[in-house]
Amino acid sequence: MYRSKSVVTALVSVLLGGAALALAGFALASNTPHQKSLQCVPDATMANSCNLSMNTYGDSLAGQHGPTGGAHPDWVSYSNQNLSVPANTTVNITINQYDSGGALNNAFFDQVMGTVGGTATFNGVALTHVDPNNIGHTFTLRGIPGSGSHIFVSVPLPADSNGGVVKIGAGEYTAPNVIKFSFKTGSKGVYQWNCEFPCGGSREGQFGQAMSTFGYMAGTLTVN
Amino acid sequence: MANNKKYSLAGFLWLWFALTVFGVILSVWGPGYLMPRSMSSSMHLTILTMVVFSVAAAPVAAGVYAALAYMLRHNIYRGDSVPPAAEVQTRENSRLTIGWVLTSIVLTVFLLVWGLGALSVENSGAQANPLVVNVTGQQWVWSFAYAGTHVQSNTLVLPVNREVVFHITSKDVTHGFWIANMGVQVDANSGAVTEIHTTPDKLGTFDIRCTQFCGLNHAFMVTTGQVLTTQGFDNWLAAQPQRA
Repeated sequence: MYRSKSVVTALVSVLLGGAALALAGFALASNTPHQKSLQCVPDATMANSCNLSMNTYGDSLAGQHGPTGGAHPDWVSYSNQNLSVPANTTVNITINQYDSGGALNNAFFDQVMGTVGGTATFNGVALTHVDPNNIGHTFTLRGIPGSGSHIFVSVPLPADSNGGVVKIGAGEYTAPNVIKFSFKTGSKGVYQWNCEFPCGGSREGQFGQAMSTFGYMAGTLTVN
Repeated sequence: MANNKKYSLAGFLWLWFALTVFGVILSVWGPGYLMPRSMSSSMHLTILTMVVFSVAAAPVAAGVYAALAYMLRHNIYRGDSVPPAAEVQTRENSRLTIGWVLTSIVLTVFLLVWGLGALSVENSGAQANPLVVNVTGQQWVWSFAYAGTHVQSNTLVLPVNREVVFHITSKDVTHGFWIANMGVQVDANSGAVTEIHTTPDKLGTFDIRCTQFCGLNHAFMVTTGQVLTTQGFDNWLAAQPQRA
């Protein structure tokens, strides 16, 4: 009798513990912001290609965090984090870079890598690399070996030192640097991208805060 | 009623023997299937070390399991009340103690000698004309610079049968540089350069992973590598864009 009571108590404890964990998981999942994917728009002038446009800001007042900037309005951010593109397509990306910057901690990322032709245009000028001491951010995309296509694209985004005032949302910025590049997608899969310029602050290497939190300087590229 | 029956040790010894044989077979057969495909001298030594250590551990593990099974078979008390004390209690057994301590010493010294020997082989002098690759870990990308050239790459391409010396560092937090197929695993520390070398001896591809949890995208800090023929490697190197 005593033994059967113990078994029942143990089973009930395990079930209650599991239920508590499940509830905690659901609660966390429901509080996670689900940002809408930015869809690649088919290019009317070129078959089998599409266009994406994003911005980078020195704060979070103009992106997907709303006019208040969300929980961390002073954190740097991309305008969009989740990108959606078709498989086996040329993706043309335009990035308006509104943020200032400084020196890369690894000059490797001053190169344009993995793009069509190995170049990108910076305010209309095609280059293969830029000054590593004057970088605002990078767009660095990679695949995981064994899942989908192997892809590696990295484009430096020079620091913005242009004049003028541009109002976007609740933010005010100077006129942006415009960086354009293209890359080809392979098979379906979910790929990951992030910024490799040390713009996060707080931790060794300046990769904390916005660099270490989804929704700011990192995101996914879903190839459908 | 105390349970003072004497049981033969023959059953225990047979079980010990059988489990040891099973353990030795598993030790010899398992690593070749469970560990990554060996592509370098370092990995050959790693797998051999795993086999030898497992074989050495097999009789020890078998003895523990055999003793456990023997005790459970013969010495479980199944009554409803507290079991009575044995009439004759064994407080000490000098021969068993000495035997166990000596066995442990022999096994430990063997592991030490083998380990020092393996380290000596790993750290033996570099061959003439090694390929030097400067490896940089950064949240969350590996990059590889080939010494004596202006080539930098995010994938690691190596020539077969030529020693490779890796100079490994980090630009931020600690990363772990791991090529499982080559038996190469060492931390990449900020502000320090760690050297490790190996000689690829099989053509093919391999993965490079970070083994130190290094932040948000640690799981994505993976890249690929490839071992090419000498001519193939030279062709690849010549085709890479040169940095100024």
